[in-house]
Amino acid sequence: MTTKTSLLKVILLGDGGVGKSSLMNRYVTNKFDAHLFHTIGVEFLNRDLEVDGHQVTLQIWDTAGQERFRSLRTPFYRGSDCCLLTFSVDDNQSFLNLGNWKKEFIYYADVKEPEKFPFVILGNKVDVTERQVSTEEAQRWCQENGNYPYYETSAKDATNVAVAFEEAVRRVLAMEERTDHLIPTDTVKLHRKPRSAASCCS
Amino acid sequence: MTEEHSPLSLGFPSVMAELIRRCTYFFLYDGSKVKGEGDPTREGICYFYPEETPVDKQELLCGQLAGVGRCVSELSSSPVRFLRLRRSKYAIRMKDDFFWALGCSVEVPTTSVCELLDQLINLFCFYNGSVRQSYQLNSQETLAARWGQYLSHLQPGSSEFHRIFSCLRTIDSTNVDPLLLLKAALILQACQRCPLVLAGCILFRGRVVSTQMTPKLTMKVMVHESETYSKRRNGSGASGRSGAAVSSTTVFLTLSELQYLQSAPVDKDLSSHSTPRRDAPQKKTRLSRTLSEMASSESDSSDLGPSQSPQKVSFSPCLSESDYSVSSPAPSQSADPLNLPSLSPEPPFSNEQHSLETPDQSYYQSFYSSEGGDSQVHSKGDGSVFEENSLLNGCGKEFDLRGAESGLEESHDNEEVVGDRGVDGCGSAQGQKAEVQDPPPSSGASDDPEESPLIPMMLYLHRVKGLVLALLVDPPFLSDTASMEEVYHSSLASLNGLEAHLRTISPGALGAPGPYIFTHFDCIQSTLTTNLSGRPGGAPEHPFVRATSLLHSHFCNTKTLQEAIIRSAGAAVYGTRSVAQETYFQQHGGSLRNSGIPNHQDSAFSLPSKARHRLLKHGVNLL
Repeated sequence: MTTKTSLLKVILLGDGGVGKSSLMNRYVTNKFDAHLFHTIGVEFLNRDLEVDGHQVTLQIWDTAGQERFRSLRTPFYRGSDCCLLTFSVDDNQSFLNLGNWKKEFIYYADVKEPEKFPFVILGNKVDVTERQVSTEEAQRWCQENGNYPYYETSAKDATNVAVAFEEAVRRVLAMEERTDHLIPTDTVKLHRKPRSAASCCS
Repeated sequence: MTEEHSPLSLGFPSVMAELIRRCTYFFLYDGSKVKGEGDPTREGICYFYPEETPVDKQELLCGQLAGVGRCVSELSSSPVRFLRLRRSKYAIRMKDDFFWALGCSVEVPTTSVCELLDQLINLFCFYNGSVRQSYQLNSQETLAARWGQYLSHLQPGSSEFHRIFSCLRTIDSTNVDPLLLLKAALILQACQRCPLVLAGCILFRGRVVSTQMTPKLTMKVMVHESETYSKRRNGSGASGRSGAAVSSTTVFLTLSELQYLQSAPVDKDLSSHSTPRRDAPQKKTRLSRTLSEMASSESDSSDLGPSQSPQKVSFSPCLSESDYSVSSPAPSQSADPLNLPSLSPEPPFSNEQHSLETPDQSYYQSFYSSEGGDSQVHSKGDGSVFEENSLLNGCGKEFDLRGAESGLEESHDNEEVVGDRGVDGCGSAQGQKAEVQDPPPSSGASDDPEESPLIPMMLYLHRVKGLVLALLVDPPFLSDTASMEEVYHSSLASLNGLEAHLRTISPGALGAPGPYIFTHFDCIQSTLTTNLSGRPGGAPEHPFVRATSLLHSHFCNTKTLQEAIIRSAGAAVYGTRSVAQETYFQQHGGSLRNSGIPNHQDSAFSLPSKARHRLLKHGVNLL
């Protein structure tokens, strides 16, 4: 298991302007650009990392938060291993919209068991002094909505960014291990029976 | 050239049909090798296509055409640009002792043949520098392979329409969300934040998504792209699972091409004197400006080609003479001056009258001047200017910037390699460039591509699977680690995303063929829109294609002609053109009422209004 590199797709969702692209850029290139343009559609970057002895390639998908880009971004929800729901602590509305983002993701990603899907909640821009969302409020929401891990991050000064992404990886790996245990009992082997030599086409 | 179409279907009486349908011959003949009475003609044949042609046949054709060409041009004191020999026609170019001929079917409009030959020679010079120098420094076999490459790039795959109009192959914008075109344009703009980046284009599977360059320059860049793409697909260049890799190669721009790029909106030093452009303050206000543009882009970009976007303005003919002369001293690199003994204009080639056009002018006018006059060709053939071309030729190299965390370290190594190269090859290029800026402002002939030397620049390619970001950069860019990383990292995520978007776009089921067919050629952007057979182009035997070809020829030959109808007993095709576009339209169904004499009830006369109404929904406005 340790030698195998697996590709994990995590997707950043949240209102426009909460800092999704900045989080991705901070984590992958360790850079911060205060003047990023709106993301149009989706973008992604890969980063290799090792978590708890597992080599993984994290593929971080950054999405456009604005409503008008919805049709461009939603086709790319499928296949996500983890969803990072992001809001900005200085923007209460972005916090209130978390539920909508979760719903949109579950719908378009076609998640089979939404209650088991690994979400991670990120409250970005903690470097800003005027907060509109308190830590307690955010933690309460996470508790009530599925006991999701919550991280307060700042892409600007790199606070908690790596920790949050690593947590996402841990959640996915934990999920996989759980399902790995189930595999022997649940799976149907699809190996074909050897063909009889007397088939009509031969 | 393989030929799938039955000659019979073309209606030609003989097997000649097969030959004359497309370009039959191309050769480059060096007259300097055949001076004396006893010199065999074959000594002068640098390249001959088809290569399997028997040598004595090659000699026959080269000897005859070159002889006639020289004779006529000396008698008439004007360049021979075109010869007709039996059932094929030959576009001719002469430069110093070099003589090019490209033979085509008589079906192909003369202007198109000439255009094709120009493109071919331009392509060669773009990637190899001057012709004379190339032949001194490379074996004939090497260069033959390159001619073959360029020839094969220009010919197959391109549809009949593409051959007629010499247009860019663009992505089918009808199926692409205009926002993605905006995304592509923004990626290019972001790259230009690096001052060493002149301009760029984004290509997807060999088609233009967005470009900041002129159509002609874009076309040249696309050749390298498609070559590297096919190489990679053949497995030789498979580096890394992401499929993303960066490479670069030396290219040669004409002075006017360079000035055009440098006078582009983003150039902070030059924008002040230019005609008002909305892009002018781009550097500072880029974000808000593009934001506000988004609305308009959303609403009306459907009727524009994919290559418009914010850079569309740069196609406007705003480059006046003064622009040229003012901007020519612009390049700010200080570089070691090189001794370039032959920098003074070469002896003017007396047979070149077209050279008086600026390339940009000729670009606007090429379809309207009777000779299709693109003059850049010859300029690039000028031989003796660069001693260093050979050094630069070998510059092309791939390197890899992948991987962010490990890549940062890696890329230093890689760029060091690049940097070295930059020093011995490209550094000298820089010197040349600094020097060649001198003559233009003083001499009135600065726009004359005949006289202008070729300036080495670098073509930087960043590939993400089928998507390619191609940037024309100042050579120092490749040794500037910080700039390279900046450009690489600032565009990578967006390129990944754009590739994912474009890849998932289905080809889009085209509706049943409508009751009409049309083709619309945008002369400014050099793009084509058509509903014929669901793809740009169409079978050459299609009567509509032949009518279009014929009308296009007429439009080219008769500058004042704006509308024309061409008809047979059963069909009529309407053609109309303006400085910006040419549109051809044929209505199906409904019998033509045609008594053989002019009749105001003739349904052909309703074609113009039908075209106006029908084509509106395709974004073609003929009103």
